[in-house]
Amino acid sequence: MPSRRWLLALVPLLALAVLLVAPVLRLAGEGWWGDLATQAPSSPWALWTDPYLRWRVLWSVLQAGATCMAALLLGLPVAWVLARWEFAGRSLVLRLLMLPFVVPTLVAALGVLALWGPRGVFSGWLDVNLQDTPWLLLYGNLFFNLCVVVRAGVDALEHVSAPRVAAARTLGATPWRAFWRVEWPAILPWLASSLCLVFLYCFAGFGLALVLGGQRYATVEVEIYTLVAHELQLAPASLLALWMLLLTGAVAWAYALIEKRLATPTRVQPIARQRPSRPAHCLGVAAALGVLAFFCAAPLVAIVWRAAHAGWDTWALVADEETLAALWNTLRFSATALLLATVLGVLHALAAQSSVAMRAAAFLPFVVSPITVAFGLLLLYPQWTASLPLLLCAYAVLAYPFVAKSLASALDSVPEHLPQAARSLGASPWRVFWRVTLPMVAPALRRGMAFAAATALGEFAVTLFLSRPEWATLTTLIYQRLGRPGAANGDAALVLACVLMALALAAFALIEGPRRTESPHA
Amino acid sequence: MRSPLAHRKAHMLHRRSFTLAATALAALVSLPALAQDTPLRVLVHSSFSLPKPLLAQFEAESGVKLSIIKAGDAGEMLNKLILTRAQPIADVVFGLDNASVAKAQANKVLEPVAYTQGSAIAQVGTNVVPVDYGFVNLNFDKAAFAKSGLPLPKSLEDLAQPAYRNLLVVPNPATSSPGYAFLLATIAGMGEEKAFDWWARMRGNGVKAVKGWTEAYYTEFSRNGGTRPLVVSYASSPAAEVFYSKEKISESPTGNLFLKGGVFRQVEGVALVAGGGQREAAGKFIRFLRSGGVQEALQTSMWMYPVEAHTPLAEVMKHAVEPSAFDSLPAETIADKGTGWVARWTQVVLK
Repeated sequence: MPSRRWLLALVPLLALAVLLVAPVLRLAGEGWWGDLATQAPSSPWALWTDPYLRWRVLWSVLQAGATCMAALLLGLPVAWVLARWEFAGRSLVLRLLMLPFVVPTLVAALGVLALWGPRGVFSGWLDVNLQDTPWLLLYGNLFFNLCVVVRAGVDALEHVSAPRVAAARTLGATPWRAFWRVEWPAILPWLASSLCLVFLYCFAGFGLALVLGGQRYATVEVEIYTLVAHELQLAPASLLALWMLLLTGAVAWAYALIEKRLATPTRVQPIARQRPSRPAHCLGVAAALGVLAFFCAAPLVAIVWRAAHAGWDTWALVADEETLAALWNTLRFSATALLLATVLGVLHALAAQSSVAMRAAAFLPFVVSPITVAFGLLLLYPQWTASLPLLLCAYAVLAYPFVAKSLASALDSVPEHLPQAARSLGASPWRVFWRVTLPMVAPALRRGMAFAAATALGEFAVTLFLSRPEWATLTTLIYQRLGRPGAANGDAALVLACVLMALALAAFALIEGPRRTESPHA
Repeated sequence: MRSPLAHRKAHMLHRRSFTLAATALAALVSLPALAQDTPLRVLVHSSFSLPKPLLAQFEAESGVKLSIIKAGDAGEMLNKLILTRAQPIADVVFGLDNASVAKAQANKVLEPVAYTQGSAIAQVGTNVVPVDYGFVNLNFDKAAFAKSGLPLPKSLEDLAQPAYRNLLVVPNPATSSPGYAFLLATIAGMGEEKAFDWWARMRGNGVKAVKGWTEAYYTEFSRNGGTRPLVVSYASSPAAEVFYSKEKISESPTGNLFLKGGVFRQVEGVALVAGGGQREAAGKFIRFLRSGGVQEALQTSMWMYPVEAHTPLAEVMKHAVEPSAFDSLPAETIADKGTGWVARWTQVVLK
């Protein structure tokens, strides 16, 4: 049995080794032993004695931790409202919660600046300037991560057993006490796993911190990028990268463990949703929607709003040759990357069934910054600089964990007896997978693919490093426009951001397909 | 229990799927090898831009196929060149300037090139053929200054006065080549000690440092939605403002401020990458960059001035008059002390 699993694991492990681990090691090697090691740190602990670097690491931990706390405090009540109350537009809201996932980092950062930057919408109303404060980055983090916690919370609350809560209530427990003693323990592991994910995203995130962090509130990833790309100080950069790997690796491992334990194929009778009847209930629903609107919808609305006011001349640019070429590139690169990512993701998910290490390995692409990877690739395979296959492989490796992750947890909850029954009736393993397992996990696979597609569409860091002008994608075009003077270019960037967002949305909707019936357990 | 046959079947199946995936990957990877017509690999910084028809015309006439590789900011580009010098990623490099050429020399990433044609107005340094030049200096937002009624500063000293508190944004010299150029200008104009003294006072007076030119100009500059009416940019930026303006305008909304110690002349050029191939094609490409067509076009595509004397100036460049004076440092001094200066600047302004 294990030998078969390892055979499956071979392809994704090979891809990870060749496209991720080897480049990072190469970069680290250059820093420690290469002839560029001009100021190799005397010890691995040197990092903690330099107050500047220490602040960078501490701030990275701090901002990720703060985001986790805020996402939990805001997200849990919102999730509770969404899970327990039935109101018009509820399923639409649940579906819209996917939106932030689909939005490319660059677009999100533009949206946050349109709201809170100098002369942003909110800054104007409230007469505040959040530039150079930690709040911009935290707000951006919440935009991306609040919905992670909310979604996990809703799923978890729908798995709370109704009879148990009812029993507690008949025994005299107040709703608060029933929540605290029955519901909370049941949903805790779900929340913990989603918080691990949030921590990973925030801690290893690059784009948001680069754009929103400024000089003072940039994270370690940004520091690594600066050290490598601008200052050519590979030794301290690789030291930082190794420490980052250690920290994020631990979190990824914890996540893999919790998630593995979470997977229970048991079916529970979920608590029926109620219609809000009293004003207090309606107020609760309104408050939850308000929180989501403020953190998750506002930046996107700001972009659409400002793009809509850009005027016809700017919108006409959508049809120009350059944009159409970029659109075509974006589409074909994403499609190829999605294909590769799906193959890698499915193989990895199958292999990860029995191994926590394999599960944690799927997080490697989240853990290592794309910029570090891109630089390592450049150093390791100079002959393939600006070659399309390398670019697309990098895309695929960065996007495939979404497929692997989604599929792995779906495979966990496939009841064991069904494939076993099929096997005992003489079906080959391949046939079992094709006819029994795959139909059951298809929604999860599609969702993972949708995320992977969205990631590929918005990919920016690697493109910036390995691309050629004729391969310009929409993201590179936006970045180029931002780099040219004049209001027309700023508006053009917003319009292109709108187009990219629409494209990502369309791809997502197309791949994920119509939402399956509300509760699979009803 | 599984039968040995089923086991073998499963084994074969996985082997087959593995082979399939491996073949697909191999096919993908070998694709460029098949399509290769050994193009000339040209490494450029992210601001490189020439009209596509011009490039196509060159390819058609010279028979040289171009493979243009963008490598980020000029500093990042040089670092990539240094990192990959054992196996060069390009045959020619465009965009090294007088502030970075000595570092390139010290790391031996360039090969000597002989070029004696034309009449160049400015020189970059050894082994680099000059192509264009520009000036890094302060830009100001005309509307903001008119509104505040504040007179324009007459010197860098003025900027350190309380009246000019929180008005200037500069790109970080560690991460941006215009930022680096501006730091060099202050040192060239005032001398090292006085310059850093000025920077220290500017820190007290609220100078803002951001990562790159894009952030400074696009986010922080009051003209583009920021709060700072003074920004480190290029002498050609006011012309670019007119060129890219949404409405037709006859006057630029921004202006140049040429202050003593605040103007640096950047001369960029093209060079042969050490260990690169395609020498004949490279020579053609270098001649092409100095040809009339490119020299005229680069003004409104890269926003630099043509280095070839007698090139007609683009109409819009009348909004970007060249400064009459600038401050300069010998390339060797920059190479010797540049890194130290950047570190000192970080200490004085940021930490």
